[in-house]
This record gives sequence, structure tokens and C-alpha cells, in this order.
Amino acid sequence: MRTLLKNGRILDPSQDLDVIGHIMIEDDQIAAMGPDIPSDDVDDIYDCTGLWICPGLVDPHVHLREPGREDEETIVSGTQAAAAGGFTTICCMPNTWPPLDNPSLVDFILDRAASPEAGGVFVAPVGALTVGMRGEQIADLAAMKRAGIVAASDEEFPIQSSFIMQKAMETCVQVDLPIMAHCEDLSLSNGGAMNEGAMSAVLGVKGIPRSAEEIMVMRNCLLSLHTGCQLHVMRVSTWGAIEMIRQAKYLGAPVTCEVSPQHFVFTEEHVGEFDTHFKMLPPLRTQVDIDIMLQALQEGTIDVISSDHSPHASHKTQAPFEDAPFGQVGLESIVGVTLTHLTHRGILTPLETIRKLSTKPAQILRLDAGTLKPGETPIAQITVIDPGFEWTFDVNKTFSRSRNSPFHGMTLKGRSVLTFSGSEIYRDRHFSDDRITMVT
Amino acid sequence: MARNLLSIRHLNPDQIEELLTLGREFKQWVVEGKEIARLNRVVGQLFFENSTRTRVSFEQAAHYLGLKSVNFSTTGSSLKKGETLKDTILTLRYERLNGLVMRHPSSGAPALAARYFPGPVLNAGDGRHEHPTQALADALTIRERKGSLEGLTVAIVGDVEHSRVARSNAWLMAKMGANVRFVGPRTLMPAHSGLLPGDVFYDLESGIKDADVIIALRLQRERMSDGLIGSIGEYARQYQINRDKLRYAAPDVLLLHPGPINRGIELDDAAADGEQSVITAQVENGIFVRMAALYWCFYEPEPPKPAPKSRAKKVKA
Repeated sequence: MRTLLKNGRILDPSQDLDVIGHIMIEDDQIAAMGPDIPSDDVDDIYDCTGLWICPGLVDPHVHLREPGREDEETIVSGTQAAAAGGFTTICCMPNTWPPLDNPSLVDFILDRAASPEAGGVFVAPVGALTVGMRGEQIADLAAMKRAGIVAASDEEFPIQSSFIMQKAMETCVQVDLPIMAHCEDLSLSNGGAMNEGAMSAVLGVKGIPRSAEEIMVMRNCLLSLHTGCQLHVMRVSTWGAIEMIRQAKYLGAPVTCEVSPQHFVFTEEHVGEFDTHFKMLPPLRTQVDIDIMLQALQEGTIDVISSDHSPHASHKTQAPFEDAPFGQVGLESIVGVTLTHLTHRGILTPLETIRKLSTKPAQILRLDAGTLKPGETPIAQITVIDPGFEWTFDVNKTFSRSRNSPFHGMTLKGRSVLTFSGSEIYRDRHFSDDRITMVT
Repeated sequence: MARNLLSIRHLNPDQIEELLTLGREFKQWVVEGKEIARLNRVVGQLFFENSTRTRVSFEQAAHYLGLKSVNFSTTGSSLKKGETLKDTILTLRYERLNGLVMRHPSSGAPALAARYFPGPVLNAGDGRHEHPTQALADALTIRERKGSLEGLTVAIVGDVEHSRVARSNAWLMAKMGANVRFVGPRTLMPAHSGLLPGDVFYDLESGIKDADVIIALRLQRERMSDGLIGSIGEYARQYQINRDKLRYAAPDVLLLHPGPINRGIELDDAAADGEQSVITAQVENGIFVRMAALYWCFYEPEPPKPAPKSRAKKVKA
């Protein structure tokens, strides 16, 4: 079985490659890549003229909700959404019920993800850092690592005790695992529901001050510097936090960070009249934060763009603002939103865009992904993106089981149209049939 | 056509004027014992938070308008069984209630209710957000004595951060041409007050200097255990409106308080019972502005839209 992806713009950040050419997939491996590949003996030809051919996208921050909240998402529906969004590898977060804090749950997740009805993407679980994510006792990280976790995190229940965090970091150095940290000082955020700012003052909603995030980013960066533990700061939202990370990198701490599209697209003003679809954690901030964030994306202080895909049942979002949960589904909108707001505006080049959506997260979490180099991934992982395709994001037409998205109804330019993981796992209806030649 | 009263922030000065004029008229009618046409509707009084005065006031208002009140409070409701607010509102809708008066501890809850309820929804206080009818009562009380709000200096004193009364009053007074001042300690003031219509003062003397109106806010005793104020005594020393402090204000200053008063904390007896105090008038006017609010919500004065003539034309074409 030979498949040819013909005449696309090949973007492979792992080789700093940005050329027009073809890719030959033989069985489930990339066999050849370049401008001149003989197309004889080919079974299928996909005409990728005008499209980008990239390493399969990698999302380090996805909530699959299974086990525990299968009404909101399952491993099957979540991986299908990922494939449709252009992802071939996703990391799932441990804040399930029960929490992912032991090896048997890791096995369960990997089994489900490998089932034939799942989306065909690789799921790399992130284990809980402490037992039950209670921030007290370090979980059995070595056993979970043997079972397959790629990082550890207490997600939305950040460890408050600096002592426990320090011990967790030392443990992670010992077992060689990165920590993914949501940074929030809970005594400062203390039940807040949106950015503490001019809007929260008007709406009378309890605010989350920016210092709640920045203090924890600073603490974790310092602990990382002193323990040598690899730290990935999740969903950064304030200019101060970005400045802390810049400093930590300057000091040589092994620190990386990510942002999610909602934080560079929306501000606190989008909360409007208590719109729960704009209730995010950390909260949406201000234009100043966005301006600094765009700069940091450009210069590379921000390493990764992740979706922070957080499905919630609609009865939870149709609630008073302060009672509604934080977050949004994002796997199927992130490529469109990122291209529309960053790439097409000249903030990131196409190559840098793909680096932040694929190569960099794969490198940080040491995944066999994020590259088109033959043999570097277990099977060929390729995403084809139509950068010029204009469409309106309709959350009701997504694979996710949940419908909470602030991007619903937005016009986007750019969309992933084909996803390969060994073989084709997703083809968008907008990838026209005329582009495919089946040679039999 | 029904409309809601969810906040003062969304009203324009004409609408506020309409409501205050209606309130004045209703007061006259009630005092004179005039017959008021019965509205013949059923209003649900939904109190998800304890309230005595606002509830009694709304029930009195409904009584004078001939509206039937149906009470719904958290203790007797299904909320304790885990029912969502949306389901509660839908239930009441199909219990054929015509309107809702709603108090809720969460900011924005009445706005959510209004999405699932076709009739008028009146906000009787939501979290720290707004308490529109209290502001209307205060405005009517001030206007009866000062004639107009235009050009008055109104100082709102106390726990502004946690106060829906402060927000509704600030919007109302500012929209009607008054100069609004927020006075209180930093820990009880919003960290970013840029979008609120008023100037911030952290000390009482300069905050109430030459003020025509002082609205004192209630201080919740929990603020001390929350670590927001050092002690009740220290707060009272700095921010209590008393005989001495009133000298800084204009000689004919009006002193308002939404109640219930913590005597000895935000007001001393001399101020609360003094001749500048209009606190009891506020309570009484509360009934009349709530009548106005209910009437205004049930009967939007816009003329009914003409019958759909154009549709017949379209069919022909």
C-alpha cells in the first residue's frame, strides 16, 4: 500500500523545513519526502496543492473526562474530536473521577484509546502528582510511568504547600518525568470566577487577581530552578506570569509554557452579561496581557499552543455565572483560531505555528511525534491543513460530546482537512473528492 | 409586551424618570386611598437568600396592585434536592406564573432566569451585582426632598466591594446627573473601579465633604473574620457616620441606609435617628417604587405593534 501526498507545502519544524514537495507513505511509514518522488506503483494520490503538510499535531492538554463524566466526553468521542481537529497525539489530564493516580487507570485509558472505535490518535496520559490530587502525598509516579504516563500534574487542584511541591519535583527528577503545573494560589483566587478588574467590579463577580497566577508561576519556576525538575507551565494568562517565565528561562531553569487560544483572542470584556461560555481558568484578562502574549509567542517565550479542551455538560454552563464550571471545548477549533489570529496576522510564520502545535509539545513531553523524519515516529503521523479555507465554527457539528465553546459562530480561516496516523484517520468533507486519485 | 428590570446599569435616564414618576403617582394614590386598577396577574416571589424587608415590600406592592403573590423560598423548594436554577424557572413558567421577583446570592442569576421565563423578571438583589428597586426607593426619597438629583453630590460610604446597593445607586445617581463618590477602606473597595461611575475616597472626611446625600452601607460582621478589616471598632472609628462626622457634609445633607442598620457600627443613634436621617422614608418609598417597577414591567407603554398586514402582501407577491 503506497499513498502519495502530492505537491503540498511541507512544514516540518523538526528539520526547519518549509518546501513544496511530496510525501510518500508506504504501509504505515513515511518512506520518502521531497520535490521529486516517482509516483509509479502508487495506490492513492492526495493532491495537496495549496495545502500544508505537517507532522501530526500534538495537544499536551486535553480533558477526556473518562472515567467519571462520560456524559461530557469519552475517550472515544474525545479522540474522534482530536482526529477531526488535526491531532495525532494528545495528552489527557488526570482530573477524572476517580483521579488518574494509579497504574491500573493508566492501563484502562490506554486500552480504551487503542480500541477500534476510538479516533485512532495516540493518547499519552498525564498522571496525578499527588494521591487523589489532594496535594498531600506524592502518587506512585514510578509505577505510573512504567504504565505509560508522560508527565505528572495536579491540574485544577494545584499543590499549595511549597514543601510538597518541592518534594514532588525531586521525585519527578528521580523518575524522570516532567511536571505540568496549573499555577494558582488558591488563597488569592478564593472562589473567584473572572479576572479581578474593571469588569468584575461592574458585574459584582468575585475576581481572581493576576497575582494568584503570578505568585505560583514564580514559586514553581524557582523550585524548578533549584531542583532541576522539568516544569511545563499550563495555560499562562497574564503578562506578569510571562515575565516570570522569561526570567526563569534566562536563569536556566528547565521551564516551558503554553497558552490556549481563548487567552489570546478574548478579554474580560467578553464575559459581557454573565456569559458562562467565557468563564475560563485562568480567567480571560485584558488587552495588555494579549499584547504581551503575542510578543512572547513570537519571540518563543511561549513554547506551545494547547487547546485545554474542557468539555462540560450544558446544564452546568446554563447556570449562574459564579456556579458554572471553567473551560471550553477546543480540539476542533484550535487550528482555525490559531491560524486566523496568529498566522494570518503575521504574528507567527506557518513553520512557527506548526512548531507550537506539534514539534515543541512533542519535544517537551518526549513523545515520538512532531516530526516527519522517516522512522522517528512509530507510524506516519501527518496532518494536512487548508490554510485559506474560510468557515464558521459550529460547535453543534463537532465530535465532542459537549457544546461549551466561546468560539461558536466565529468565522475562521484555516482548517485541518486530513489526518493520518499510519493510515487516514480523518478526512474532512471539505477535502474535495477531486483531490483524490485512487490508482488501482 | 413584558420587560425585565434586571439592573439600573442598563436603563437610560428616560426609563429611570418613568419609573420614579410612576412611583410618585402610586404613592399619591395609595396615600389618598384611591382605587388602583387590579393587574390580575400572579407574581412569584423567589427568594434564594434570606430577606425580610425587600420581600415584605414587594408583597405590599403586589397587594396594592391587586397582584397575587406566590412565595418560593429555598427552604421549601426543590433546590435542596439538586434541581438546577434553570429547571426551577421552567417549572414556575409552566405553573403559569406571570412574573418573577427574584433574589439570589449569585450575581447575574436573574438575567439567567429571564432567559427561560417569558414574563417580566424583577431583580430583588443578585449577589454583589445590583439591587435596582432599592436604588429607585433611595432616588424617590431624595427627590421628594431635593427636587432633583441633578448636580447633587452623593457619597456612598462603606463596603462598596460587596454591595449591590452601592452599584445600583451609583448607576442611578450618575445617570440622573449627580456626582457620585465611593468612600471606604481599600480592602472594601473594588480593586479596579474604572468602569464604575464615581470617584473613590479612602477617608471619610474628604469623601463626605459638602455631600448633599450620604448613603451608608451595611457592614457585614464576617468581613472581620475574612481578614478585610482589622476590627469592627476600628472600622467604626474611621467610617461611622455620626454627629461629629456629619458636620463635614452639607448642612442639609440627607442620610440614607438600606437597612438593616448595625447601630454603633456604620451609624450612631444620633445620626440614624437625627433630622437628616430619611431611613424610614426609604422603607416606605420602597413599596411605591416596587409598585412602579411591577407596573412598568408588566405594561411597557409602547403602543402595540400593528397587525401583520405586510405578511398578506408578501403572500400575494
